[in-house]
Amino acid sequence: MTDIVDRLAKQPPPAAPAMSAALEGELAHLEKVTPRRPLRQLATLVGISLVYGAGLLAALTMRKDMNELPMGWIVGAALAWLFGFAVPSYLALVPRPGTMAPRWPLAAASAIIASIAFVILGLLVHPSGRSSLHYGWEHFGRGHTCLEIGLAAAFVPVVVGALFLRGALPVGSRWIAAALGAGGGCLGGLVLHLHCRVADGLHIGLIHGGVVLVAALLSAALVPRATDRPLR
Amino acid sequence: MQRYQDGDAGAFRELYALIAPRLLGYLLKMARSRALADDLLQQTFLKVHRARGAYVRGADPLPWIYSIAHRTFIDEARKTQRAIVKVGGDDDVPEVAAGLTGESADRIDEPRVDPEEAKAALDALAQLPEQQREAVVLTKLEGKSVAEAAEIAGTTVGAMKVRAHRGYEALRKILGASAAPAAKKAAAGFIAASLLVGLGLAAVLAAIALAAGGRITRRLPEPVPSGCVNGGAA
Repeated sequence: MTDIVDRLAKQPPPAAPAMSAALEGELAHLEKVTPRRPLRQLATLVGISLVYGAGLLAALTMRKDMNELPMGWIVGAALAWLFGFAVPSYLALVPRPGTMAPRWPLAAASAIIASIAFVILGLLVHPSGRSSLHYGWEHFGRGHTCLEIGLAAAFVPVVVGALFLRGALPVGSRWIAAALGAGGGCLGGLVLHLHCRVADGLHIGLIHGGVVLVAALLSAALVPRATDRPLR
Repeated sequence: MQRYQDGDAGAFRELYALIAPRLLGYLLKMARSRALADDLLQQTFLKVHRARGAYVRGADPLPWIYSIAHRTFIDEARKTQRAIVKVGGDDDVPEVAAGLTGESADRIDEPRVDPEEAKAALDALAQLPEQQREAVVLTKLEGKSVAEAAEIAGTTVGAMKVRAHRGYEALRKILGASAAPAAKKAAAGFIAASLLVGLGLAAVLAAIALAAGGRITRRLPEPVPSGCVNGGAA
């Protein structure tokens, strides 16, 4: 059995047919294209997203209990959200050096970890001040506004990432999309962290943290339709 | 790829001449139909052409192009429900076997594969589940490493190892099962032939022995009468 497989493997490849008329037609008016530069794309995505997030925050106003909360928690949580935004975005956009294959296993891991970690952290760590609000279970549903704001913040990085990755993901596009969504969701979490003064664990964990999960799921469901579509 | 991205159509032709035969071999083993493989090859290169802007300079384009071919095959298979082309009619088989064993002018020193053997192996390959078949084709027939095959198929290295191992084991079983009746028939034929030869030999030996026995009998000296041993001397 090994013999026949080995001999088959050593056979020369068959002669390929001539290029199709469609391909020849495409080549007839071949134009120069700009190659993909992943790090530059990442910098662009992060820059546009942060400017958009800042604009959104300026439109929504900063949280009123900011001065009453521990500065260490404010800064630490903001950095964690930023980290959650940058790492999945990096893994989604930048392949290993010398390759073009997306790092989808790592991107998938980052999306899953971010989706779970921010929910748990929000449930466990949620300091509050005198001006903070507490919805609890009774008014939990009122938190849907935060979900909408978070998803609106996630929209731009996901769309920008999808545009950059069009045609570049023959495989693993769903996990890459999930990572883009999780990254965008973390940007949404950052905006909410600086805007929303609801300080109960359920709201922060399930709504602010949930933005990451929902954005990742929505992105995984929708983005591959754009990235997998033929470019013309 | 860089010259091609810069708008050099000749560079694309070079790329096509270099990669298309290998890609066609892979697609033939997956699709089991020359016409379908040719079509998939053209679709793959059209996608490569349209996505050429996604190429990262300095990267090896081959796994990326194989991935596009893999994806094109999967999409086509799902669309037409022909992932595994059942070899019911014999029309496809010689075509594929001939395609796989066809030789180019510069590689005529390669070992030949008996078309019957190739057909049996490809039939067995076609019986494997799609993922196992692809793992076997990529790792055993296309000579890719497990990591490269995983990258092409969009799976993890561990999963590719498992698929390749299971696929190879399944292939061994299928080929072993198909070889068993033939082996039994061959063994029976060998025994029958041995018996015939043995009987023939025995007959010849017996004839020789009989003939030789006659001559020996004739050559025996006349018996000397007893009691006359010393008679002359006396």
